[in-house]
Amino acid sequence: MLPMSWHKALLLFLWISPHLLLGVLAVVLYKRRLYRQFPVFFAYVLYEIAEFVSMFTLYSVRGVTSRPYAYAYCATLMISIALRFGVIDEVSRDLLREAQFLKVAARRSLQCVTGLLLVVGVLLAVYAPGDRRFGFVAGMLVVNRGAAMVQSGLLLALLLFSRFLGLSWRGPAFGIALGLGVLTSVDLAMFALRAEFASAVAAVYLNLLTTGTYLVCVLIWIGYLLAPEVDPASLTVVPRDEVETWNTELQQFLKQ
Amino acid sequence: MIAAWILVAVAFFALGILVYVAIRSRTRRVDLEKAVQAFRSLDIEAFRNLIDSAEEAFLRNNLSPKKFREIKRQRAWAALIYAWEAGRAVAALARIGQAAQRSSDPKIAASGAQLSENAFRLRLQTIGACLHLLTEILLPDLQSRSLPPLVDQYERAAETLFRLGRFSSGVHGLVRSKSA
Repeated sequence: MLPMSWHKALLLFLWISPHLLLGVLAVVLYKRRLYRQFPVFFAYVLYEIAEFVSMFTLYSVRGVTSRPYAYAYCATLMISIALRFGVIDEVSRDLLREAQFLKVAARRSLQCVTGLLLVVGVLLAVYAPGDRRFGFVAGMLVVNRGAAMVQSGLLLALLLFSRFLGLSWRGPAFGIALGLGVLTSVDLAMFALRAEFASAVAAVYLNLLTTGTYLVCVLIWIGYLLAPEVDPASLTVVPRDEVETWNTELQQFLKQ
Repeated sequence: MIAAWILVAVAFFALGILVYVAIRSRTRRVDLEKAVQAFRSLDIEAFRNLIDSAEEAFLRNNLSPKKFREIKRQRAWAALIYAWEAGRAVAALARIGQAAQRSSDPKIAASGAQLSENAFRLRLQTIGACLHLLTEILLPDLQSRSLPPLVDQYERAAETLFRLGRFSSGVHGLVRSKSA
């Protein structure tokens, strides 16, 4: 195990730095007026900052035992999970913005995927309920595991769906989906392990991994949102005779 | 315990796909010339023959059941490859259509919207056709239903493509810097 001072310093660094960067992200979203396109994501970023401030204050106040802290952590995490679902909905709307024809079919497919993932999540909660000795905490971990599985599966389905159909992502939406996908995938693994291995030593290392992933995820968001928006290549119509040649050739080919 | 490790494996598999998609999206280019070439290279007449129900009926009547199943599987497999390749070409056209939709020229934007809609329609049909052909490979004795009007849709997408013209950005390919 790492010496306590090092561990604490590393944990604090990995806890504080992503939230400072989230502040930068909020400024970027505001300056580039992206909060108009992604209002739920903007709300999520602001909520994460506010949550960090309140949790860090609670952590710093003497006399607060681990139990009230755990309850506060779980309550704030539930809101965070709900907002993440909102962000997924937002990026899926952005992806389908230019594909009017696919909107209905795509949304129905995503609803089916969500339903399927929910069923798997519930079945997992019933048949793999985690370490029951830890009562409330284990229960919360199982719920979070299910939520992470649904969110990760939805984002993966969205990415594969877009690739399969030839749907183009816009840079910011892709960055948001990618960052959230990385976060929820690692969350799924972490919550699955923590539900089974709820020992303090395991929790210490898994916490480091979770906070480290969060830092990576925030960096992905900032990277994609700061990436310059290049104008789409200009389009010109080819000379008319060339169009006609192509057209005639294809028409003949199709009518063979 | 096993469930936990299965979930960890699933999570890392998902993470791997996410990283792969992210890397591919940075390096991939939409190339109109290549898409048109892929579109042209498909032998529609051969595809029509492979899915022709009259030809299938002829084979059914003139071959032994065992031989018919073997031939039908081979035909369905070949048709599946055609449908799959058509789907890939169409997906590339859909991306081009979407990029054109963002053009400042309203005519090009309208053509782009039409092209991408035709391409999406056709893409869904190729997916349907692939599933249909897969069923035929697995269950060759089933009486074939007619495939969706793939060829007509293909033709409509082609017409839109030629109305749209092509990208000119110094090079023939469009670097996908704005869309991932």
